[in-house]
Amino acid sequence: MISWSELWLFALPAWLCWLAAALISLSGGWRRTVYLLMLGGLMIFGTYIALMWLSLERPPLRTMGETRLWYSFFLPLVGLMIYSRWHYRWILLFSTLLSGVFICINLMKPEIHSKLMMPALQSPWFAPHVIVYMFAYALMGASVLMSVWMLCRRRDEMAAIDNLTRVGLSFITVGMLFGALWAKEAWGTYWSWDPKETWAAATWLCYLVYVHLRRSRPAEVQPALLWQVFCFLCLQMCWWGINYLPSAQGVSVHTYGG
Amino acid sequence: MKSKSWGTTEGILVCCGIVAAGGLLQWLAGPVRWELMSRPVNGIVLAAMLACILLMHLLCGRVRVFRWMSSLQAGIPAIATCALLTILMGVTRQVPSEHIPTEPIGITAMLSFWPFVLAYVWLMLLVGMVCMTRLSHPAWRNVPFLLNHLGIFLALVAGTLGNADMQRLYMTVEEGKAERLAVDAKHRRHEMPITVELHDFSMVEKPTMSFLSDVTVQTRSGISVRDTIRVNKPLSVGGWKIYQYSYNEEKGNLSEYSVFELVYDPWLPLVYCGIFMMLAGAVCLFIKNKW
Repeated sequence: MISWSELWLFALPAWLCWLAAALISLSGGWRRTVYLLMLGGLMIFGTYIALMWLSLERPPLRTMGETRLWYSFFLPLVGLMIYSRWHYRWILLFSTLLSGVFICINLMKPEIHSKLMMPALQSPWFAPHVIVYMFAYALMGASVLMSVWMLCRRRDEMAAIDNLTRVGLSFITVGMLFGALWAKEAWGTYWSWDPKETWAAATWLCYLVYVHLRRSRPAEVQPALLWQVFCFLCLQMCWWGINYLPSAQGVSVHTYGG
Repeated sequence: MKSKSWGTTEGILVCCGIVAAGGLLQWLAGPVRWELMSRPVNGIVLAAMLACILLMHLLCGRVRVFRWMSSLQAGIPAIATCALLTILMGVTRQVPSEHIPTEPIGITAMLSFWPFVLAYVWLMLLVGMVCMTRLSHPAWRNVPFLLNHLGIFLALVAGTLGNADMQRLYMTVEEGKAERLAVDAKHRRHEMPITVELHDFSMVEKPTMSFLSDVTVQTRSGISVRDTIRVNKPLSVGGWKIYQYSYNEEKGNLSEYSVFELVYDPWLPLVYCGIFMMLAGAVCLFIKNKW
């Protein structure tokens, strides 16, 4: 029987593997070692999730803490996929650090795990919907950081920004559509223009403008970078800004206990 | 004299024109009345829209503006206009659906605000045109493009037009009794083509909180289904989907009645088709190495 108190026994070695892989990839070291360390870490962390699954006798997808386990697992995994595709050296460090944040939250706030989720959240759609969105947020975060860097230093990283945005957009699309399919199962409508949904649509459209603009006028870098920052501001509004937006108070179904 | 072909400036001007025309319509005719869109009007509108797109596509060779409509120069201002109007919707407090706006302009009921509706119609026309252009030169490399663009066209157009045909009714059933009357959002009573009999309502707290209704549903054609309805697990019978909606919250587990939401949505298969095309398109977007 395994419980949350054994998390660090698995999370620490896994995270150290990822960190080692990230540092080796950053220094341009041996690619095979990077892959082995990343996969090793994923296997250790995956073993913990599998053991939790067996011990709970249900998939660990119900509480916020349990979903954070999956973020911590998926972040390095998708980081590795992007690394193998485009060989960005920094992506592994980025995903490892973000994964570390979620592991730390789970280690430090164990009381959250016992809390029950309200019935509407008890759906197989919940974890994919949130995990996909979280990864999209992470990709768009990386992309806007590079955009600001380019605006300040005039370096040419446009190809990387475009790739990250395109992959991020595909994740945002999937997250949004999973949300629609889930809403249909839970409430009977796939889209009800709740404030969170309205901002999700606005953000999605803004990123669509970006990808079409890059195709239409690839030489005009400055306006594209500024638009990238605007898109990210919309994304922030969608993610947490609406909790403070007067027009969204008391009408959103996306405000389950903060 | 050779006239200059249309570009981004014209794209922006057309969008401004559409918003202005929408504003005028709003002022003269009031908010969009979506309830007029119900069967068969929505089917006719869809057929007219598709015919319009096909006709414009066939005239592409002769009319330069129609060719321009499937260009990025026309598309980008259209997406941006929709984005800005959607942001405007996000920052204004919206009235519940089917309510009248609380201010004279109409932006608190954005879904019935003519400039908003027309901007999306324009965008969908352009998406339809660009799909026709790609379809007229079939090639495997066009598949991801078509999945994304036809997908959003189908999901948005079918979702919007089908909305007026969608019926959402609420049925309160007492334990041990069968019910065939339901009320709509405006508290009008409707006799339903199905009967719902509630055997037992219960609330379980372990392992996770959930509300269960043990029911038997009968259709006029004599089909009878016994099943448990709970949150996130609706029951589909005879074209209707039955959702667990509410119960006597003061009594909890001892609630002697259960409230169900009954949803009938005949356009749903088209919307789902669009959604799954977009999902496949998103996977293609992820895999694609360069654009």
